[in-house]
Amino acid sequence: MTPTLEARSLVVMRDGAAVLNDVSFAIAPGEVFALLGGNGAGKSTTLLTFLGFLQPTAGDVLVAGRSVGDDVEAARAKIAYLPEAASLYGHLNAYENLGYFLDLAGRKVSRAALDAALDQVALPTEARQRRMQSYSKGMRQKTAIALALLRDTPILLLDEPTSGLDPVAIDEFHAMVQALAAAGRTVLMVTHDVYGACQVADRVGLLRGGRLVGSFAASDAGGRIDTETVHAAFAAREAA
Amino acid sequence: MNALLREARFLAKDRGAVLWIVLALLLSAAATGFGIAEVREQRQTIAALLAEDAKDRANAISKHDAWGDAAYDAFHLTYAPPSDFAFAALGQRDTAPWLHRVRMLSLESQIHEADTANADFGLIGRFDFAFLAAAVAPLLLILLLHDLRAGERVAGRHDWLVASAGTPRRLWLPRAGVRFGGLALALLVPFWIGAAIEGAGFGAALAASALVVGSLAAWWAIIAVVGRRNASPPALLAALVGIWLMLALLIPAAARAGIEAAVPVPDGAEILMLQRDAVNDAWDKPKAATMTPFLARHPEWRALGTVEKPFEWKWYYAFQQVGDQQAEPIVTAYRQGRLARDRAAGWAALLSPAALTERGLERLAGTDTRAMIAYEDRVRAFHARLRAFHYPLFFRDPPYDPVVLDGLPRYDPAP
Repeated sequence: MTPTLEARSLVVMRDGAAVLNDVSFAIAPGEVFALLGGNGAGKSTTLLTFLGFLQPTAGDVLVAGRSVGDDVEAARAKIAYLPEAASLYGHLNAYENLGYFLDLAGRKVSRAALDAALDQVALPTEARQRRMQSYSKGMRQKTAIALALLRDTPILLLDEPTSGLDPVAIDEFHAMVQALAAAGRTVLMVTHDVYGACQVADRVGLLRGGRLVGSFAASDAGGRIDTETVHAAFAAREAA
Repeated sequence: MNALLREARFLAKDRGAVLWIVLALLLSAAATGFGIAEVREQRQTIAALLAEDAKDRANAISKHDAWGDAAYDAFHLTYAPPSDFAFAALGQRDTAPWLHRVRMLSLESQIHEADTANADFGLIGRFDFAFLAAAVAPLLLILLLHDLRAGERVAGRHDWLVASAGTPRRLWLPRAGVRFGGLALALLVPFWIGAAIEGAGFGAALAASALVVGSLAAWWAIIAVVGRRNASPPALLAALVGIWLMLALLIPAAARAGIEAAVPVPDGAEILMLQRDAVNDAWDKPKAATMTPFLARHPEWRALGTVEKPFEWKWYYAFQQVGDQQAEPIVTAYRQGRLARDRAAGWAALLSPAALTERGLERLAGTDTRAMIAYEDRVRAFHARLRAFHYPLFFRDPPYDPVVLDGLPRYDPAP
């Protein structure tokens, strides 16, 4: 089966230094893959390379079996991207923000569908007509997650998606990601959150200094990745 | 179309951008209004003087019983009426005379008596539509467009937006285009209304609109090139305002200084003084000193060119003409110098979109240097007809009959 997302011996140099160095992985349709790593490990760079904002210095990144460099527009059309600290427009309300971004992506969505997505992320009804400059960080993040859901793309790239969410909302988000994967969506998320990654991902990769230094699959551990094992490996790699 | 509607709705919610566009609309309405008021005042001045012109002349003529006296006191109104498009670009009408009351005396001093400074090319002038479109509008465009990309980068939305759009062009082109279009419409709608009120020709209004849009497009290109730099919005704004200062103010000012130094032009006061000296000196010179150069120019009066009495009108008006003849070299230098400066300013304007736009609008409005010099030439041609009418009366000296003066030439303002 063709992987939905694939990095092949990926090298990305920025300012003369390798931000990603010989990184390879493949994510199957319906799989949730979490990349863990500290600051500067190359997590966000990986996402930006799949989105075509950064060009591989060597190797390649493929979306649905096709090199991103061949048709970046086609690759982006398959991807809903949730950036770290998603900053929606403060002078627009939630509906207007969602409407703007969806229109930009060429999607027309009914008000009922917007409400359904906002219900799914539990954004209070009374807040939806308010300008987003009055929102808390968690409310903004929920709206951004709703946007990613509404894009209805086969692939989700999520950069620190639970940043700013309260524990209950994080659990709800993880359940949502698993439901999306069960429905066939492919998810690549990058995070610092070892516990969250182990809870939601089918596989976890450890990035350090631009290299993929470890990988843990739920299928190898009886269906669920052992958090302590990953945490210990992560801590050991970070200390190394 | 969808993208334009999306960005129009987005723009409508952006209070800062809307403020700049509303400001452009108000400034354009004010500039158009000022222009129309000024042009109407000029037309009223011309109409009021025209209403009195024939009456004053008839009154002056009725008091005399000699051709020379009547010619001396009879004033003739000459004027360059503002075009229907002049409200948009008043141009040289601010600095060059567009109305005179001339009589049979030396002409050049009459043309230039209100002209103590050079009426040379204008680069940046009064607050009319041309100034707004040429110099102020680019600044408003900079304020609207400078941070399109940088602002989104700072907010952390840039990649998210582009990833959503698929390609940068699908996002930035409609977003900038709607702002560009909004500003252009805010500038042009009051202008179009003004053009309709003034009855300006469709072709001129269309050409002016194209000029304004073209000028803004040039600035858009500059902003787009600078805006691609990975710098903060304040840094980009500072850089673009610096470019605006250079292109809209410094280059025109430096070009003006350079052209003035490179192309020396005598000023109007020099012409005035030279001619008055020539005329005043004629009183003390032998009559031949006047009549010889006069008859060289008018050999048809040689047979009647002898001056026998201490004062004869033909001698008096001959030395008025000889005064003009003596001033001819400096008048020619002045005229050619102004045209040379204007040509040089035209080349220099290629370095400044603002100067190029303003000059283009003045050309369309007939308020540029060439139009004002053409008016002076029409005054000279009219004065030549006055002389041709009067000289037979002075030289043949038939019995005075004021009815003959009903046939005095009439000034035609049409180019």
